[in-house]
Amino acid sequence: MLRRIWALTTKEFIHMRNDWWLPAFMLFGGVLELMLVGWATSRPITNLPLMVLDMDQSATSRQVVTAFENTGTFMIEEYVSDFEQIESALQDGKITAAVIFPKGFEAELLANGGEPILPVLINGAESIPGREAQGSIEGVIRSLGEQVVIEQIGINPEQFAGFDLSLRVWYNQSLSEAYYSLPAELALMLEFTVLLFAALAFSREKELGTLEQLLVMPFSSLEIIIGKAIPVMIVGFVDFVLMLSMTVLFFKVPIRGSLALLLVLAIGYLLVELGKGMVISVIARTQHQAFLIVMLIGMADFMFTGYAAPVEAMPQLLQWFAKLVPAHHWLAIVRGIMLKGVGLEVLWPNLLALFILGTVIITFSLRYVRRALN
Amino acid sequence: MSFRHLLAVTRKEMNHIVRDPYTLVLVLLSPTILLLVFAYALTVDISHVPVAILDQDRTQTSQAFVQQIMAGDDLDLYGYVDSIDEIEDLLARSKVKAVVTIGPGFSDNLYALKGISLQINIDGTEPESGGYAVEHISLRATEFVDDLLADQIRAIGIDFESFDPIDLRVRAWFNPSLKPRNDLIPGLISMVLGIPAMLVALTIAHEREHGTLEQLLVTPIKRTELLVGKMIPYLLVGLVNVIFIPALARVLFKVPFNGNFVLFFILSAVFMAAILSMGIVLGVFMKTQSAALALSFLMIFFPGFFLTGIFFPIVSMPDIMRMESLFMPGTHYAIITRGVFLNGVGLEVLWPYTVFLAILAFSFTAIAAIFFKKRLA
Amino acid sequence: MQIEQPIIQVSGLSRLYKEVRAVSDLNFVVQPGDLFGLVGPDGAGKTTTLRLLAGLLSISEGEASVAGMDLKSESEGVKSRIGYMAQEFSLYAELSVVENLRFFADIYDVPVGEMDQRMERLLGFANLLGFKDRRADKLSGGMQKKLALACCLIHEPKILLLDEPTTGVDPISRREFWNILNQLHLAGTTILVSTPYMDEADRCSKIGLMYQGEMIMHASPREIRQQIDGEIVILLTDNWKKAREIVSNFPGVQEVQTYGEALHIIVDDADKRIKQFERNLKKANITHQGLRSAPARMEEAFISLMHKMEERDVV
Repeated sequence: MLRRIWALTTKEFIHMRNDWWLPAFMLFGGVLELMLVGWATSRPITNLPLMVLDMDQSATSRQVVTAFENTGTFMIEEYVSDFEQIESALQDGKITAAVIFPKGFEAELLANGGEPILPVLINGAESIPGREAQGSIEGVIRSLGEQVVIEQIGINPEQFAGFDLSLRVWYNQSLSEAYYSLPAELALMLEFTVLLFAALAFSREKELGTLEQLLVMPFSSLEIIIGKAIPVMIVGFVDFVLMLSMTVLFFKVPIRGSLALLLVLAIGYLLVELGKGMVISVIARTQHQAFLIVMLIGMADFMFTGYAAPVEAMPQLLQWFAKLVPAHHWLAIVRGIMLKGVGLEVLWPNLLALFILGTVIITFSLRYVRRALN
Repeated sequence: MSFRHLLAVTRKEMNHIVRDPYTLVLVLLSPTILLLVFAYALTVDISHVPVAILDQDRTQTSQAFVQQIMAGDDLDLYGYVDSIDEIEDLLARSKVKAVVTIGPGFSDNLYALKGISLQINIDGTEPESGGYAVEHISLRATEFVDDLLADQIRAIGIDFESFDPIDLRVRAWFNPSLKPRNDLIPGLISMVLGIPAMLVALTIAHEREHGTLEQLLVTPIKRTELLVGKMIPYLLVGLVNVIFIPALARVLFKVPFNGNFVLFFILSAVFMAAILSMGIVLGVFMKTQSAALALSFLMIFFPGFFLTGIFFPIVSMPDIMRMESLFMPGTHYAIITRGVFLNGVGLEVLWPYTVFLAILAFSFTAIAAIFFKKRLA
Repeated sequence: MQIEQPIIQVSGLSRLYKEVRAVSDLNFVVQPGDLFGLVGPDGAGKTTTLRLLAGLLSISEGEASVAGMDLKSESEGVKSRIGYMAQEFSLYAELSVVENLRFFADIYDVPVGEMDQRMERLLGFANLLGFKDRRADKLSGGMQKKLALACCLIHEPKILLLDEPTTGVDPISRREFWNILNQLHLAGTTILVSTPYMDEADRCSKIGLMYQGEMIMHASPREIRQQIDGEIVILLTDNWKKAREIVSNFPGVQEVQTYGEALHIIVDDADKRIKQFERNLKKANITHQGLRSAPARMEEAFISLMHKMEERDVV
């Protein structure tokens, strides 16, 4: 039996050598995606085009504009002289924000008890830069306000704290986005690539009719399944190690718990996703269909891991459903081991859930695939 | 180009999709379903964040404070803890996203007008919920102090309002509360319409793998007839989704649609032509379907997220990536969708993007036709 | 004038895959109306030759023209004048018989007015009238081949290039298929057909024998059989190995070929040698089930030519 499985596995690897794009994608696609995510989340949002309508033309207004520029968030697109220009620039999506200094802004600010209005317009059609712009502008104006208050009433608002909040961020003191997003992306990319690869493994042979050839040869269906599964497992595991090294070495995300445990659990998780992929490959008649089903299942799973959307805010029914998604538990395990430095004493409920789900999925897929093969 | 040849290829290609009801449903609905999934994720507002309390003050005031911050659906009180160790345990087990520590002397300090001190511990592995809890708690804490002590504070001559000497009035146009869903859902349409493009990349490899290409190559069919003919069914698939999506976005997710639908439909067709011809280019170079799939993930799907400016503003990218993003049809289409959905603008603003899309469509098809040899090897 | 011009002309034609020569220095002509058989074992270069002539592969060296058009410069023009049938089934599996035919009719610009009538005639010709709406992948192997033939006849090409159209087809369908080819041949279509079967070669008007990428001979079947300047003796025996040793050393024996348990012995004078064999076999205690003379066939001629070529290569 081992020899026959070996023969099948070798055949699979020879096939991969000839048709290397998909295995290569599986190995390096995830790494590439992680690089893009890591890069994108570590980069601040900068150069947002800001339009200025300065009707005050005072030292203060210029000081404020300079302060906006110094945040690095903005790049002054243009000083304009009338509101219509702002209106049309916003309409055309040319700018992210516009700030308008009304006449007498400085005078009113310096007068005791004065409270000048400072209108700011934000292009809400791009909410992500829009929010960044808003936050940045609010910060500048707040510190300007403090400065004025200190000068006028001699009290630093920070001294009198209505309340004093001290924030302690556990496991991620610097609130690094890489800590937050990379282990999650890593966990999810592994899911997606293994699912895709496993699903295509059978459906390709089914579509091209080469599966029939295998079936007339003296292989048992179990041997065929194992022979096909081994390469997927190997490639999947190498993919995981590559992505993990990248996350740790390049983006400096720590592994605070046991690396050995993480690797062992990764193998277990690969088995679960492999089972899912095999079921898909049996349901799908063509590679076309297999791809679309993987896409839908992969993205739906993505929703229920808690990474893309907060599960606790979903309706109860969906929360239960989320518990049935293996990736949900896998993500908890990856984050637990890498960031929280915990071990099985804490993660056992996730492991148990994964084990039960895995047993069900694998039993089902073995039955299903064997029946389809026979 | 012969219309008859084009039609023959289109009809044949259509048959692949329509013949099998299973494929038909998958091909036709997957962009819409995928968008619904994305959209749902974007519209789940954070709420019911599980929070634990470590109350070292144990006074009526601290009780009242806890009640105030827990009122409503935003936070869920998981329970009280007694020690720092318990905090760590709860966070490690992901039972709570935040723990609020109310220090001893909380109420004494408060009445002595020394302010209140509060420590919030959040789980940094999922900072979004934790951050939301912090924001919520600070807001409620200010209210709490305000309600309880406003008179006493004013009595010592401090006016809260004078702390804000500038009346900053921020107004967001087109999307007053800056809800991400309102611009990300239209933006993501370009992503999900990439699926038909990935499928069209498979069709040439499909013919190669099944040997049907050989028979096709000995016919006098022109390369552009074959390539364009293959794109048409997927163009139609895309356009069917273009009808569904704005309707569903509006009904289910309350995304406004301020522009002209007919214009949107036509510009979407131009976008489809561009993204499909990009798919065809990939298909021309790949020998097998799985290879075509891998390449289209790398060239269509991933860049769709990162390079088209939906999530990461293009102005903030380094120059090289800004250049690349110009060649992604999604970049221009994302501007078009947001412009039509939110800004409600028309061709007078959107024509440059439309022209660029048309140029992309034309050049990609030309590239595909040049590199598609009517030979086997 | 037109008639005297060869319809396919090949000179010095070679095709290289990387460093390997799939076909090498082919020289032959096909006259209008010929039923030209490309004969040879698997890997002889038949498929490559047909693909080159169909414009599916680019020419590495040499010249070839089809229907008066140079394949190097006008391969697209050639395509509307030929019908090409690939070795593997290469029609659309999920389209029905009629849909496949209609597709190719459209692509080949068959006049719309004639289309239905032509499809009907071809389907009748291929005995597929009863299967019009069946999906192509649900047809039997033989029917698929006939459908493929019908598809490449839809534009009534003057030249047909058929790559092993009968491989993997049951004997009855094979015969039927060849009857169709004969009808087409009689109607004046030029046919270039490849086959690994020697018995099929006998039905061709001209034959090109291919071996290891080269065309070792092209002539009429009769001329090829005449390559054997002797007579054939067939010996059927269980102990053919020993028998082979014995007869090989006889004077007058030119060559011994093995076909399963039968030995085909090429000799100078069949009647004379049969008697000698009979005696000697008896002496060696070898029983046989038959020993008779037979007319020379294509197969013996081909193998004999092959042997001669191998000997030449060794020298």
